[in-house]
Formats: sequence, structure tokens, C-alpha cells
Amino acid sequence: MAEIEFVHVSKSYGDTPAVRDLNLKVGEGEFVVLVGPSGCGKTTALRMVAGLEEITEGEIRIGDRVVNELAPRDRDIAMVFQNYALYPHKTVYENLAFGLRMRKVPKDEQRRRVEEIARKLGLADMLNRRPSQLSGGQRQRVAMGRAIVREPKAFLMDEPLSNLDAKLRVQMRAEIARIQKALEVTTLYVTHDQVEAMTMGDRVAVMRDGILQQVDTPQRLYDLPANLFVASFVGSPPMNLFEADVESDGAQLVFGDTRLDLGARSLRDYKGRRVVVGIRPEEVREASGWDGAHVGGRVLLVEALGAEQLVHIEIAATPLERADLVDAAAQPPGPSLGVEELERSVTLLGRFDRHLLLTPGEAVEVAIDPRLLHFFDLETGAALPTADVPAVAGVAG
Amino acid sequence: MSSVTQIAPTPVAPAVTRPRSRKRLRKAGWNVLGLVVLAVMVFPVYWMVSTAFKPGHDILSYTPQWIPTHPVLSNFTDAIHQQFFWNAVKNSLIVTTVVVVLSLVLAFLAALALAKFSFYGRKPFIVVILGVQMVPLAALIIPLYILMSRVHQVDKLSGVIVMYLTFVLPFAVWTLRGFLLGVPKELEESAMVDGATRFGAFVRILLPLLGPGLVATSIFAFIQAWNEFIIAYVFLHTPEKQTLMVWLASFTTLRGTDWGPLMAGATLCSLPVIVFFVLVQRKIAFGLTAGAVKG
Repeated sequence: MAEIEFVHVSKSYGDTPAVRDLNLKVGEGEFVVLVGPSGCGKTTALRMVAGLEEITEGEIRIGDRVVNELAPRDRDIAMVFQNYALYPHKTVYENLAFGLRMRKVPKDEQRRRVEEIARKLGLADMLNRRPSQLSGGQRQRVAMGRAIVREPKAFLMDEPLSNLDAKLRVQMRAEIARIQKALEVTTLYVTHDQVEAMTMGDRVAVMRDGILQQVDTPQRLYDLPANLFVASFVGSPPMNLFEADVESDGAQLVFGDTRLDLGARSLRDYKGRRVVVGIRPEEVREASGWDGAHVGGRVLLVEALGAEQLVHIEIAATPLERADLVDAAAQPPGPSLGVEELERSVTLLGRFDRHLLLTPGEAVEVAIDPRLLHFFDLETGAALPTADVPAVAGVAG
Repeated sequence: MSSVTQIAPTPVAPAVTRPRSRKRLRKAGWNVLGLVVLAVMVFPVYWMVSTAFKPGHDILSYTPQWIPTHPVLSNFTDAIHQQFFWNAVKNSLIVTTVVVVLSLVLAFLAALALAKFSFYGRKPFIVVILGVQMVPLAALIIPLYILMSRVHQVDKLSGVIVMYLTFVLPFAVWTLRGFLLGVPKELEESAMVDGATRFGAFVRILLPLLGPGLVATSIFAFIQAWNEFIIAYVFLHTPEKQTLMVWLASFTTLRGTDWGPLMAGATLCSLPVIVFFVLVQRKIAFGLTAGAVKG
């Protein structure tokens, strides 16, 4: 077991930077998930650790060794590939034993370890089959087994679940997390799926365009996103975002016809300026019984999910113009019909109790608790410090 | 009256059968066409083999003899005892073996470079390889002859070998590159992470998966080198240095053609190709990489 550490690591292909000045430390036995949209450099970062990609600048350490110049086989790590990369001409047994054979482990020791892993992963009956005779889930387990059997210093996993169907993915997600906890092996896991990242990682590192945005525990990432990108990327459905003006010496927020008293969260440094306001769908509430500010809106759409319902509510506010600051996949739905007057409206996504009866077209009052709002700089996208919450460290760890 | 209660009207028969019968008719048409093509392909081979077993007067009779009624082996003994037969066999074997081995090795390395490494001018190179194959061989013979005579390679087996390589290699490189691209790079990478060297990953993982490609390429090279006539005919003057195909042409003289021994010789010449194909065809198991990746 060992730590993995990126020290000012950069990678570029010609003039195109893929990873920029990455600093990240994966502690011993820790499970860190690198997450971000496709093309954000997360796989490149992982492949640099494996030795499959040269490092343009900086240092990668595994344990106390700098591995920049080390061949993949000398790094003592195991990697699970997105497409499993099982050797098609070898049986499951041979696939599992390949790494041991390469490391000249004695034959009977090989057999003992392979059989033990096969039993643990439920592959014992399939040792003589070839990969083409296995189902997707079984192949995935062989790929995992091949990594585990070597007892390496660290696991590297490159989207190992993305080829599985939804049900199996949820099952294997728990399985991998369980195996990792049991073996206590340092793990760096790459995914583009933020749900996977949130459920599996001890800590989650969010990347975008080759730049690390924030590293923290899943909960803190969710509660205190460092910038607009993290706010829009983490959480499903994504955070509602719109623009608002800070008035009255930073004590009030104005959007549409709404004046919201910020109370303890005053934005004194931003008085007279426009900021981005974010609110999680579960914090959007129906206003009955709420004595704070009410926001008038109209129900556009109700999506019943069984246990709860997602309600699209149109309110008067300015939509966020800076699409470049948020995750492309989390773009808020545009103005409903493209009608001129509707362009000053924003669709809030609310996660409501299923017993609340709402129908499309109905007028509704929404309660917004200023204590639950997130504020971001309109220019930089950085989270704003408020009187009660000091600045969030962007990249910590 | 029947006691069965009819709950739905019986479907109107013609509406169902008409498209089906038309389909069947079309299928039969294609089958007949296939058989005709087969006959056209097979008949010359049959005629060659059957003529090889016919005595001279049967071969030249005006009423064609479809089946040799009095089969004889004399044509074969005549062919084998014809001058320079064994020389020609030896020459053909040398040329073919060297071309197959060299083309496999060179094409494999070239294809590896083209498929796995990026270097300056790779794309134009690939296009040129394809383009070269578009040029008709006949157009090249005279310039090549002049070129080869300058380097004293006319009337030498080595000259013919080089010539054969020039047109076997582009195809072989192209084919093998395709096979190499079909092997996901993660397989090698995984082997390297698992503890193999780059060369080890290549030998243990890549090479076994390329078997079918190597077999396909070697068959192509074998057929090309063994069956080639024009180049060998133009380049090899001395009878002792000629290959089997040129030797076959020696049955046609100014005084006429000795059909019996010619056909017997032709039959003998086709045997090695068939034997080679039968030996290696079992290795052409396509879809060997199935199951390597994805679910």
C-alpha cells in the first residue's frame, strides 16, 4: 500500500493542454474519485499514474518513489480498464494468473491465489472459459479479479462500470466500494458519473478542462461547492441557478419582483453588483406556512418519480447568461416558449413531497430560505464568502 | 356443420402467400445464378484435371470427352521428365518461400509502425501504399526491367523475389494494419501494467491475436509468388533459372501445344497452393478478439 501524489503535474499533447498543474494526494488506503465531464483530463491523469502516458511537467509519486521515468510494470499498480481489456485468447484462469506469472510467482502460489480470488468473486466455475463466453458483469469481475490478485500498491480504475447496464452498475458500485474497504488499497477511480463519484469516494476531485476545481468529501462538495462548475456538476437534478442584484448595502437580494432579506448572509462586498444565486432542488419549497419571502411562480411540468415529484416552476428572474461557467450537461432549461416576455423568467426545479398535488399551469408560491442559498461571482464563477460562511477553499488536499 | 366455433375469420390466403412465393422465386433465381457462376469457375479446373488423365487422341478428338474413359498417367510422367522440371520446382519453392517469409516479417513490422506509432508523414505513407496498388503491373514492367538490369538483377531469382515483394508488400502491410487496428490498445497496456515489458506484451498478447491476419497475408503472398507469370517470364531467360509457371509455357512451341503433359504439369503446379491453403486455413479463425472488451 502506498500514497499516490501528483505534484504540479501537467500534460499537453502538442499545444493542447490536457492536464494543468495538478496537485492531488491520495492517502494510504484512501478511495479518491476523479470526476468531470468527458475531455476534462481525468483519464489522462490516471494513465500518467499507470505509466501509459508521459508526464510533460511535474512529478508523480507512488509511495516515496518518483515514478515519472518508471515503466508501467515497475510501478506495482493494477489498472481496471473501461473496456476491461481481458486477453481474449486466454481463459479466465490465465487472465487472472497473467500478472502473477509475469512476476514469477511460483506455480502453486499462483493457483492458490487465483482460486481464492475466483471464489470470492463468484468466478470459480468459470476458470476454464474464455472472455467471449462470459456476460458483461462476469467480465467486469474478471477484470477486477485480475487487479486484486496481484495485491498491488494501488488500484487505478478507469470508468470500470460504464459498460454495464444500470442495475448491474448500482450492484457493482457497492461491490467495488466493499472490496476496496476490505483490502484497504489506495484507489484512484475515474468516472464521469457524479452519482458514482459521490457514492463511492472517500474524497472526490472534480476536474474541468484539465484543471482541478475542488477536492473534498462528497458531502462537503455538495454543501459547499467552490465554484459554479462544481455546483452545477454535483447533484442530480442539478442546482438551480439564476442572476440577482445585491442591494441595500448587501442586505437584500433582488430578482424579478422579489426582494429577499439575506439576514446573516449579507453580501456586503458585493453591494450594487449582480451575482449568481444557486439553490438545490430539495431546498425549493412550497410556501404555505413559511413566513419568509414568497416567490410567485407557475407550474410548468410535474414529473412523478414515485417517492417524490420533480416540479418545474417558472419564476420571474434573470437566467444565467454565462453558460461557460457551468457544466454543459446541467444547463437549466431555457425559457419555455421563446416568447419575448418569458426571457426574463427562470425555471426552478423543485423536489417536492409526492402528496403535494400540483398541476401544470397552476400558480404556486415558493418559499426561499436565504440560509440555503449559494452565491457565486458572475465573472469568475467562484463561490462568494458571506458573513456566516467564509470563503471555501477551492483546491484543498 | 363443424362443431368448432370460429372466433376469427380465416385469413385470406392469397394475400399471405403471394409475397412469400415471390420471395421464394427470387431466392431460387439467385441460387441458379450462383450455380452458373460456380460452374464457370469450376469447369476450367475440372477440364485441366480431366485432360491430364486423357490419352492424346481423346484430348484432340472433335467430340469432347467429358469424363476420361481410359485414364492414363503417362501425361504426368511425361511432364515430370520434361527438361528442367525439377529445376523449376526448386526455383519456385525458393522464390515463394523467401517471398512469404520476407513479406510477413517486413509487412508485420511496417504495419506495426503504421498502426501503433505516430510519426511524421504517416498519413501520406498510408495513402501511397494504397495508391501503389492502383498502378497496373504491365505498365511497370519495362521501367522495372531497366531498373533491375542496372543493378544486375535480371535473370536472377533474387531479382524476381524483390519484384514480387514490391507488389505483395503493399497489400500485406495494408491487411495487417487492419488486423492490428482491430486489437484494442488496452490489451497491450493492461499487459504492461500487469508486469510485461513492451516486447513481452507484444509477444504474449498481440502476436497470438494476429494469427488470422498473418495467415491471410501469407496465403496471399504464397498465391502471388507461386502463380506469377509475367514478371518471371520477362526477367528469367535461362531455362535453369525459370519458375514453374514459365516452365509450363515451354509446352507451347512453334510446332504446337502438347496438351496432355501441359495439363498434367498445370495440375501438379496447382497442388502446392491447395496443400498450403488446407494446412493453414484452420488458423483463420476470425473474431478471435471477441470478448476482449466491453459487455
